[in-house]
Amino acid sequence: MQSLLLAAEGAGNPVSFEILPAVTAFVVFGLAFGILSVFVWPKIATALDERNAKIVGEIKAAEEARAAAKGAQAEFEKSLANAREEAANMIKQARADAQRVADELKARNEQELAERVARANADIEAARKAAVAELHAQSAALALDVASKILRRQVNEQDNGRLVQESLSELASSRR
Amino acid sequence: MHTVLASGSNPLGHVLDKSSAFSGVFGHEVKLSVVSVIVGGVIVLAWMLFAASRIRTGPESAGHDRWVTKGRLAQLVEVLVDGLYTQMLEPVMGARLARAWLPFLLSLFFFVLVLNLMGLVPLMDIQEIAHGLGGKGETEEGKEAAKGALLWIGGTATACLSVNIALAAWAFLAIQWQSVRELGVKGTLEHLCGGAELVRNPGLWFVVPIILVVEVLGMVIKPAALAIRLFANMVGGHTLMATLMMFGAMAASLGVAAVGGISLLAGGFAVIITFLELFVAFLQAFVFMFLTAVFISQMAHHDEHHDEEHGHGEHHGSESAAAHAPGAVHGH
Repeated sequence: MQSLLLAAEGAGNPVSFEILPAVTAFVVFGLAFGILSVFVWPKIATALDERNAKIVGEIKAAEEARAAAKGAQAEFEKSLANAREEAANMIKQARADAQRVADELKARNEQELAERVARANADIEAARKAAVAELHAQSAALALDVASKILRRQVNEQDNGRLVQESLSELASSRR
Repeated sequence: MHTVLASGSNPLGHVLDKSSAFSGVFGHEVKLSVVSVIVGGVIVLAWMLFAASRIRTGPESAGHDRWVTKGRLAQLVEVLVDGLYTQMLEPVMGARLARAWLPFLLSLFFFVLVLNLMGLVPLMDIQEIAHGLGGKGETEEGKEAAKGALLWIGGTATACLSVNIALAAWAFLAIQWQSVRELGVKGTLEHLCGGAELVRNPGLWFVVPIILVVEVLGMVIKPAALAIRLFANMVGGHTLMATLMMFGAMAASLGVAAVGGISLLAGGFAVIITFLELFVAFLQAFVFMFLTAVFISQMAHHDEHHDEEHGHGEHHGSESAAAHAPGAVHGH
């Protein structure tokens, strides 16, 4: 307690001017200012300048890259739109071509089919006619044979021909 | 312990400048403020040299890390320097003037800051406690020693008006140097007499002495206000701290419980006030530096106002972000 009071007594007037602290502060600050101005602030200023230049440069480069990317994107989108349109047109054209080919094929097939049917019908008719003719011939031969057997006599070629003609005539009239 | 408790019985005794143990060494009274200023100067130099070595751009071999400042102390300096320049000085002074005065203003700021912060470190109390534990304070010899011989360092240098006056003298010189640089010696003298127009008009010469007195008083009052403001804030804060700590000692007659309770409460408030003091240490360093910058810029007001009137915004807008950094200081 007493020691502190004594210490307090040792303290000077708070607002009195004392030369030694003032001169010391003046000189020490002057020295510090001089040394800092030569060895410290230029280094810090340069470093901050470089850093700012770097940051500004990076930002500028990034902005340029972004602008370029935006341009490229627009170009790409335009190309994509063109490609899409072109593809759509190609698909449309392909569909039309396919439809046209299909129609042609269908028509050709139908025509061929009709031709084949007609040809088949003609063949059938010819075959039918041949069969009928053969049937007539065999029927005539059979009838002749039967008749010969009934008459018990030999029929010659002239009789045969006459009988056939008669039979055919009868057959034709009976068919009507 | 007695010493600590007793320290509360006279708050000003705890705050005011005292003789240091160096007085016995040099045979002349050396106040603690003198020691603090010298130690503070060394600390500022060491801190700033360290910071500069960390802030500077590294070699290319370091890759991206070359742009990174390493270390909290260096980062603190970087943030303060960048913030003070771009947020405070450059908008107030203009880029040209701010760059030109940046070394001086930053030196002033960090010097005052370190002295303020040193005042928050209870070096004096530590030495007094050590002395009290040694038992010297209870003897007659100890009492004599307590008159100043036991304290090697401590206290707040910026709570000494003489120190602040010296710093304000630097501010005064800077302000006047700027005035002479801008206006010339003749222009400065004319400015002190009210301006060239007034001086050249004999009909108005009767006003010149009045203006001269006002201007000269203004020249002195501006830096004096800086010194007194810093002194008052530092003394005020530390006195408040000491007063809070005094409450415990004042309650000594009320019993142990009262002493404990009041000391605890007062100690809690003291912790809060310590944080406030930490803020004040930065704030007052900034105020000292900033007002000096304002006074300097007033001496170059014509030039700066001219800039403002003719495209100040354009001037700022056209500058790259790089130009906002405190570089090219030596270019001016």
